[in-house]
Amino acid sequence: MTCEEFERVLPELEGGHNTEQEAHLKSCSACSGLVSDLNAISQQARLLQGSEEPSPWVWNSIELALRQDGLIHQSSRERARALAPLLSWKLRWLVPLAAVFLVAFGVLIRQRGTVQPPVSVATETGSIQPTETVAMASEDQQLLNTVAARMPSMRAAYESNLLAVNAYIRDAEQSAHSNPNDEVAQQYLMSAYEQKAMVYEMALDRSLP
Amino acid sequence: MTDAKKQQGDRLSEATLIERAKRGDAEAFEALYNLHKRRVYSLCLRMTANTAAAEDLTQEAFLQLFRKIGTFRGESAFSTWLHRMAVNVVLMQLRKKGLPVVPLDETMEGEEEAPRKEPGAEDPRLAGSIDRMQLQQSIAALPPGYRMIFLLHDVEGYEHNEIAEMVGCSIGNSKSQLHKARMKLRELLKTSRAEKATRP
Repeated sequence: MTCEEFERVLPELEGGHNTEQEAHLKSCSACSGLVSDLNAISQQARLLQGSEEPSPWVWNSIELALRQDGLIHQSSRERARALAPLLSWKLRWLVPLAAVFLVAFGVLIRQRGTVQPPVSVATETGSIQPTETVAMASEDQQLLNTVAARMPSMRAAYESNLLAVNAYIRDAEQSAHSNPNDEVAQQYLMSAYEQKAMVYEMALDRSLP
Repeated sequence: MTDAKKQQGDRLSEATLIERAKRGDAEAFEALYNLHKRRVYSLCLRMTANTAAAEDLTQEAFLQLFRKIGTFRGESAFSTWLHRMAVNVVLMQLRKKGLPVVPLDETMEGEEEAPRKEPGAEDPRLAGSIDRMQLQQSIAALPPGYRMIFLLHDVEGYEHNEIAEMVGCSIGNSKSQLHKARMKLRELLKTSRAEKATRP
């Protein structure tokens, strides 16, 4: 076999070489060098696979187009999340309203000295301890203990949040039990649980040193 | 876990993502995009040598795919379907620019003649000395038709029958173009190495 004959069949030789071709390669350093070079190029090229990454805006543009086409629908999780901001404004107002109420009673206590706040008393440490607290679940207590250990000043705020969100969950559960076929009631309940999860997440994140 | 089992697991996961995407799940679409974005983008980038153009083509390829995902029946691998879309998008771009694409007839020399090795001549071997950057530059210097076949076969790992189907040529043509691409790259790499050696 000559070098010209070998090079003519080279494009077809992917799986291997026959006996004649092998014999030529053993005897011809030029052709064996050529085969070696072409193999090296091929092997090095494989390392280039998927080595580049597009910028994030590419996905953003794709997602926007898919939403405009109506090909992306909201999942139930996304719907609940969409509802959460709508419903959470109720909770957001409960906490500052509760704080204003408590401060107002605190002022009344100092001014009159005789009126006992129906909801809370100021402790020596300055934290507010509710007198009409519903017994908290042990995991809520554990969370409050964790927050208190890391940032004592935040304990009261999270206790208020937990009380409010637990009350929200109770209401939502009652509503969902009473109306098992009402999808809105079920979504309210899901949102209530998500609110509690958010309180836990915030408490653990923000109380970290 | 063995490689085969992992591959099977990956395919099942991808199949789940595809079904969820068909139902309009945004997270599934994004997951499919993240699984394949590097390969599609790399292919587009190496064909265009321009990041902005490559990103536009990547976006176009994925959009075309996602808009048709409802028709995907699993007859071929999803990645093959996607790459076919990417190749089509790139080829359309080349045609718009009036650049030659892969000749349909393997006997046609639609592009420059591949360098021929002088019988009996001996060159120093490339093996062990191929610089990644030089290889990328050499690939960028290839004519578009050679470059496409080389990228699909040697970089992306497609077989000639798959390439022929994607690009619209014969298997023989695909093999011939690949060989010419490799020979051209060999020449470019040796020239580059010689130039580097003579620099002070």
